[in-house]
Amino acid sequence: MKRFVEDVKKYFDYEVRSAKSVLKTEVANSYLNWIWWILDPLLSMMVYYLVFGIVFKAREPHFIPFLFVGQTMWGFFSKNVTQSVKMIKRNKSIVAKVYIPKFVLLFSNMMVNGVKMMISWIIVLIMMMFFKVHISAYVICYIPILMILVLITFAVCIILMHFGVFLEDLGNVVSIVMQLMFYMSGILYSIEGRMGDYPFAAKLMTYGNPMALLIRDMRNVLLYGQAPAWKALGIWTLVGIFFAFIGVRTIYKNENSYVKVI
Amino acid sequence: MEEKKKIYGDNIAIEVNDLWIGYKNIQAYSIKKSLLRLKKVHVEEFQAVRGVSFQVPEGQILGIIGKNGSGKSTMLKALAGIFSPDKGNIDLRGHSVSLLSIGVGFQKEVTGRENILLSGMLLGFSEEEVRAKMPQIIEFADLGKFIDMPVKTYSSGMYSKLAFSITAILETEIMLIDEVLSVGDAKFKKKSYRKMKELISDRNRTVVIVSHSEKTLSELCDKVMWMHEGEIKRIGDPEEVLAEYEEFMQ
Repeated sequence: MKRFVEDVKKYFDYEVRSAKSVLKTEVANSYLNWIWWILDPLLSMMVYYLVFGIVFKAREPHFIPFLFVGQTMWGFFSKNVTQSVKMIKRNKSIVAKVYIPKFVLLFSNMMVNGVKMMISWIIVLIMMMFFKVHISAYVICYIPILMILVLITFAVCIILMHFGVFLEDLGNVVSIVMQLMFYMSGILYSIEGRMGDYPFAAKLMTYGNPMALLIRDMRNVLLYGQAPAWKALGIWTLVGIFFAFIGVRTIYKNENSYVKVI
Repeated sequence: MEEKKKIYGDNIAIEVNDLWIGYKNIQAYSIKKSLLRLKKVHVEEFQAVRGVSFQVPEGQILGIIGKNGSGKSTMLKALAGIFSPDKGNIDLRGHSVSLLSIGVGFQKEVTGRENILLSGMLLGFSEEEVRAKMPQIIEFADLGKFIDMPVKTYSSGMYSKLAFSITAILETEIMLIDEVLSVGDAKFKKKSYRKMKELISDRNRTVVIVSHSEKTLSELCDKVMWMHEGEIKRIGDPEEVLAEYEEFMQ
């Protein structure tokens, strides 16, 4: 644990530098530069709006910001998780040349996706103003919910990163699970609103899946002026800390063997 | 350097005690494969380094020779901290260390300039320190406008020129060299070999060189270690060890 804190401090500058480089390169390599960071969430949200808002006539209030909140949080989670599986292999050239605590690679990648997520949040804010969403004091809960999202993402990523080194086809499994999770997390619909006839199933879907819970609570505090489910969030925070701890320990124990496998 | 001498009371830079490194049980496998084949896969154990112990005093140049597969490169990687020992330990007494070998550690999408910063920071230098040496590195690498292009556009020669320049200009206290004493085209080869010799002969720097060239080793090293099947066969005066090695190889 002490080593973890020391390494986080020691490599923080590197993580920031590395994230900056990646972002800079993305800007330099694409025709529309950073406009993509805005267009990307905006366009995919438009597709969802067309299909679910217009064709399926969604009845969730403030449907556009509703979609966008879900999309923003899911985008951060799924990008990090999918990329973490091949993280070590993708950075083989670095890993094989110099010692680096392997979670540093994860942190750096999370920073890249974090910057993109922040841009997406700015769009959410603009939309909330545009659609005249009533803002309550619960808005402050945005910060703890976001922190839990980062924690849960890190915990999932660090464990997948470890197994990704040894399991060649983990990427396939993860992409299927992520697809299932996408539809189960209530990104396009409100779980409780749609599953009202099956209250137990709705509860299970919301509280058993941290992403569903985080997305619902984020919408509650931002759009609907409702309190988050503190107890459930607290439990998931502990679960997140537990798995992050296990993950960091596993990484420390095994990281120097990775290079023998990749 | 003086400080470290005070802390440890001697002038040892590298201390290796009973080092064992093996490749075992850690082949990548797939879920599909393990589902299709229920019986346990036979895993072969291979010990690359078997109980090696030695010390290198500060400022000494140690050469390592041995046939292919004798564990030289594995041990170098362990000294650099990339491999972890299965048994035994390596003590570098807090010295900074860099490994120079064929193939380089760059982020391919990122430009050469950014990669200098990243590699330098991974070697343990601060961003300011790397920035201060940046012009020198760029000048030495001599890549022209390519320095601001993504590394993936580089030819293999340019790759190694940049990698060499980073490690050569950002001098670490311990340098581990795996076969690479010079890289690039004829002109750069001369320049890099000269730089390398200058770095190696600096009496403050501890150097470990793995090489197959007996000429290089006898020219540069204070001491030569001959490794055979993961063990030290002989260690001592370059002339004696190299003569014995030559005889053995015939």
